[in-house]
Amino acid sequence: SRPLVDNEEQSGHGEQRASPSRLPFGKKQLPPIPKTVAPITKPMSTGPPVQSTNGTHASYGPFYLEYSLLAEFTLVIKQKLPGIYVQPSYKSALMWFGVIFIRHGLYQDGVFKFTVYIPDNYPDGDCPKLVFDIPVFHPLVDPVTGELDVRRAFAKWRRNHNHIWQVLMYARTVFYKINTTDPLNPEAAVLYEKDVQLFKSKVVDSVKLCNSHLFDQPKIDDPYAISFSPWNPAVHEEAKERMFAFKRRPEDHHKGTQVSGLSWVKPGSTQPFSKDDNPPQS
Amino acid sequence: MMASMVANGNRDGQSLVLKGVDPETCMIVFKNHWAQVVKILEKHDPLRSSSSTLPSMGVINLSSSSSGAQRFGNIPGDEANAVQNYVEHMLFLLMEEESGQAGAMGPILEFVVMENVMERLFVWSLRREFTDDMKLEQLKMYEMLVGQAQQPLLHHKPILRPLMMLLSSCSSTAMPEVEAELVLLLHQLCCILAKDLSILELFFHTSEDQGSTNFLIFSLLIPFIHREGSVGQQARDALLLIMSLSAENQRVAKHIAENTYFCPVLATGLSGLYSSLPTKLDIPSEEWHCLHREDWLTVPSLVQFLNSLEFCNAVTQVAHPDIRDQLLSYIYNGFLVPVLAPALHKLTLEEVMTTTAYLDLFLRSVSEPALLQTFLSFILLHRHESVHILDTLISRINTPFQLGTVSLALFRTLIGLYCEDVMLQLVLRYLIPCNHIMLSQRRVVRERDCYSISAARILALTPSCCSPDRSPPPLRQLDSILFSKGADTPHKLSSTAEETNLLSDDGSGNSCTIGSEIYLDVSYLHYLYDARRSISSCTRACQVWSALYDGEDPPPDRYEPGVLEESGLKFRQTALRKVPPSLALPPRPSVPRPAPLPTVGQLELEWDDSYDVCSVQVDTTPVENKPAPFPPAELPKHIQDMRRTATMLVKGSYIEENEFQDDVMVYNLVAKKDTTDADRMELNPGLLQSNENHPSPAEAPVQHALSLKLPPSVVADDGSNGLDSPKTKKQVDCNAIVQNAAAASAERSDDLLAQYEELLRTLDSEAGKKQVKGDGEAKKPVTPRQEEDEEDMDFTCFSAETPEAEKVSAPFGSVHKLRKSGSASRIQSVPFTGPFVSVLLSRLENMLSNSLHVNLLLTGILAQLAAYPQPLLRSFLLNTNLVFQPTVRSLYQVLATVKNQIDEQAARRKELPELITAAQHWLLARETLFMENEQSSSGSSSPFDGARILKNSPPPKPKAISLDRTEVFATVLFTEFLKELAAIAQEHSILSYIPMEE
Repeated sequence: SRPLVDNEEQSGHGEQRASPSRLPFGKKQLPPIPKTVAPITKPMSTGPPVQSTNGTHASYGPFYLEYSLLAEFTLVIKQKLPGIYVQPSYKSALMWFGVIFIRHGLYQDGVFKFTVYIPDNYPDGDCPKLVFDIPVFHPLVDPVTGELDVRRAFAKWRRNHNHIWQVLMYARTVFYKINTTDPLNPEAAVLYEKDVQLFKSKVVDSVKLCNSHLFDQPKIDDPYAISFSPWNPAVHEEAKERMFAFKRRPEDHHKGTQVSGLSWVKPGSTQPFSKDDNPPQS
Repeated sequence: MMASMVANGNRDGQSLVLKGVDPETCMIVFKNHWAQVVKILEKHDPLRSSSSTLPSMGVINLSSSSSGAQRFGNIPGDEANAVQNYVEHMLFLLMEEESGQAGAMGPILEFVVMENVMERLFVWSLRREFTDDMKLEQLKMYEMLVGQAQQPLLHHKPILRPLMMLLSSCSSTAMPEVEAELVLLLHQLCCILAKDLSILELFFHTSEDQGSTNFLIFSLLIPFIHREGSVGQQARDALLLIMSLSAENQRVAKHIAENTYFCPVLATGLSGLYSSLPTKLDIPSEEWHCLHREDWLTVPSLVQFLNSLEFCNAVTQVAHPDIRDQLLSYIYNGFLVPVLAPALHKLTLEEVMTTTAYLDLFLRSVSEPALLQTFLSFILLHRHESVHILDTLISRINTPFQLGTVSLALFRTLIGLYCEDVMLQLVLRYLIPCNHIMLSQRRVVRERDCYSISAARILALTPSCCSPDRSPPPLRQLDSILFSKGADTPHKLSSTAEETNLLSDDGSGNSCTIGSEIYLDVSYLHYLYDARRSISSCTRACQVWSALYDGEDPPPDRYEPGVLEESGLKFRQTALRKVPPSLALPPRPSVPRPAPLPTVGQLELEWDDSYDVCSVQVDTTPVENKPAPFPPAELPKHIQDMRRTATMLVKGSYIEENEFQDDVMVYNLVAKKDTTDADRMELNPGLLQSNENHPSPAEAPVQHALSLKLPPSVVADDGSNGLDSPKTKKQVDCNAIVQNAAAASAERSDDLLAQYEELLRTLDSEAGKKQVKGDGEAKKPVTPRQEEDEEDMDFTCFSAETPEAEKVSAPFGSVHKLRKSGSASRIQSVPFTGPFVSVLLSRLENMLSNSLHVNLLLTGILAQLAAYPQPLLRSFLLNTNLVFQPTVRSLYQVLATVKNQIDEQAARRKELPELITAAQHWLLARETLFMENEQSSSGSSSPFDGARILKNSPPPKPKAISLDRTEVFATVLFTEFLKELAAIAQEHSILSYIPMEE
């Protein structure tokens, strides 16, 4: 049976949980350290560029960085990238775990786990790195480190223009559209050019290898690392049911107060109390 | 007395245990008793009738029988006692009898019905002295019978009818015990009615038999609606049962709406109760700004009013729409307009303040949307003496002393309702046209601040004396947590060599290996959390709104100002029409409120601004040239009548107009008001004349009126205004510089901003009238020629200047397009973000001289506004990258001004750091105190966070620092406010982009 991802790595749900469970009125009480919103530190020595762009007070720098990354993460959610799931690590918002499902093409049925490393002077630094857990046989993937050559697509990382979802998108594209120029894995590049059949069989082997390690312990020990386990109806069936039935209701996951807004403005009008059917019952 | 025996017998526990007794035996006993009773009854029956038919109710004269005349001679005591004893026993048998097969009557009940036992007994009571005591006893008897009978009794007319006779005989009684018992019985009947609708028909029919269509139970309850104490409460509960019945039963609804005085009594009762409220409140402390539960619980009349208001709320909630609409209409026309509106315009500050506090309390007490809508449409749409209540309330924010504070509290309540209509009128309608920003900036409205740029710029305004970097205050240091990555050693468990390799090989690296430590301002975490809560609840609430307010929806060029008066209130008039003429109040006036006066809001703003630059105004405006103010328009007669009635209702509480207090403030207030009135009247003639005939009258007259006040030529040439031109030029330059500087370091641009700020302050307020000639763009005469012609007759002398006036008033190219829609007005022609924002910012600018609690309210309101997710509002308040029109002041600009004031002050005063630390200590202690109170009395959920540090329990007096040092507290508060705003900006950058529903 099909393996199911253990962790709730569906990006939408991941964010859900990101809301830290703090006490409602606990200003004086320290909250538990939020989970996905992991504490991030920036070395004090970080150069002036970061300081000047992010504000004058170093004490807030980490907050800016963290929220920039959260903003990136919400962008990823919004993109709904097909077959790609990511989740920031527990320990650092600069490290994201991900998995990519390839659904057709040469790498069909490949399930590749990867980690995204974001430079700590983001968004002013280099482009993020994307490293596969197991080096996939691919011209653009380093056969030793598993790192994907991202830089060729983002020669210079430009804030406001470049976003992490683009890196993820790129990681998906390389498996459908093979590029062999300046390869990190020359062998793969040459084979693809000269002997596609052999290349294909190597890819199949590589996919098999990756999939055979699917149930391994995550390479990085982190509560939010993505781990797979064999299908277990007792555990997974219910979750699957819920996934299919689940409709996110905004009021469901907020405790207590039934705050609801009021409006008597007729859609398309800018006049108060313009609705015809007065008074409305909400 | 027979009932008392019954009742007492039962209550003393002497009741016979009938369980297991053969029903046939019971029947025989019952019949025997009845035979004995009948003997006595017939002996004293004047008609000597042996039949069981009875005279109809018409024959029985209740009033004379209860007057005590024993018309048919004395009934010997032993006979009366005998009857009592028999009846007591009989009623027991009846109560205990189980119903027969398949719900059929038990034999005793059948006998009671056949023989008309109850009615004959009632007539027997009438024949004797029908005192209040006897009524009481009979009421108790029925209460017991109805409450404890084992089978349904009320379905049977022979039981129901005497009950109704008894009830109607009690309608005029005044004895409190009888009233209490009556209400108790009525409540019980309502409970039964609510459970068993089939009885309802019978209640109506029985009434018809009596020759009236009264729904007696209901009518009897009405006099108790506003009664205090448990009787009133029980009556209201009973009425509510009938109200919810009405929701499902058209007949009940129709009857109540058309044949009873329920709604008028309820609504005018509010007016009556209101009149007995104290017109002035004893203010417990300077910090006081609104009526909390602890406050109003000590004022019995207020408790009583709130009980009735709560009842209205409940009726609105459960009753049939017909009843609900009628009630709301009466509340609007019978309480809000004739009573509350004048009360909001009383002559002394104290009274006005008290009324404002009441209004705030009422708004907080009402929960039902329809009732809330009634209150809100009163505030937003109603005009008192041609000024919108809302505008009046806004203008009062700027009054010094308690009235300003209480007004702030009222607006805090208003914006906490998450009501689109309120927000539209207060802020959004000024932002919709997008005139406050440069045309090229419109797309920026929706842009997302991915990298917390705005938060950083806001936090960069932190005054150096409060900087967490330079000297973290001891208190904050205590709170600091260590953000330590190294301590975590995330990879100590790493199993594969591959991974270690992976993480360590790269120097520029993967930041998860960072080991350095840093002190963070932990309080900021809390602000972030609060911001998240606040924004998400606001976002959820705003899902019911009609538009996104993102600069596209509604489209900027489709904004329609004015004409908002009647449409929303139509339903009330329809509701009224259903009322019989004798009951109906005059319908809402339709004639006297035709003028959609966009100018009123504008004038209110001028009122605000004149607060700051009054003298300038007087000098430069050619006041003498103004035509004499028009006499106030005569109000239609029915309005005057209504007003008179209202005045009578509130028992002459307005007579004080004569006993005018010697209060300088009052005179000032009145004087100011008069000036505004004069100004308004000056604008009116054109409007009034054009309104009758032209569908879109507002635009041209306004401009004429503006040019009348200050022709553009004056702006340019008048010697006294000579300063203006260079200033304006400088301002434009400055603006350009500021825009350039936006990208540069925030620190540096502060100075520029401050200068810019200074210039703006002098120009800003005048801009509204003078149409600052700063914009080089788009000088097109835009008013269609024909419209101008139509106005010519009124404004001949100014027509020559018209194109000039328009030239200056057109801020950018799109105006031409806008104007073609014919709905343009000043709102679109001059960048202006509305009186509310304007007055808030002007108070914020004076933060250093505001008292602590004013600042708390002020920052609370602004924070709440900033939490709204609508991009127009969010970008206006929080986006520091947005480039505004030169005449528009942004929150950021004002904050920058305050920062400069603080820095100046810090430079002059060496003792400031100590004072600041002391203030921080005290504020934190205060907050801790509130937090404890909050936790001990949990459940009192304040609508939003800003409110919670404003609870009214007095904090301990600060020891090291006097509260009079407002500038010190303001400095601390300012710093915290920056964090609050920055946190909101940061959370917006995430929350507003998470899709709420997939």
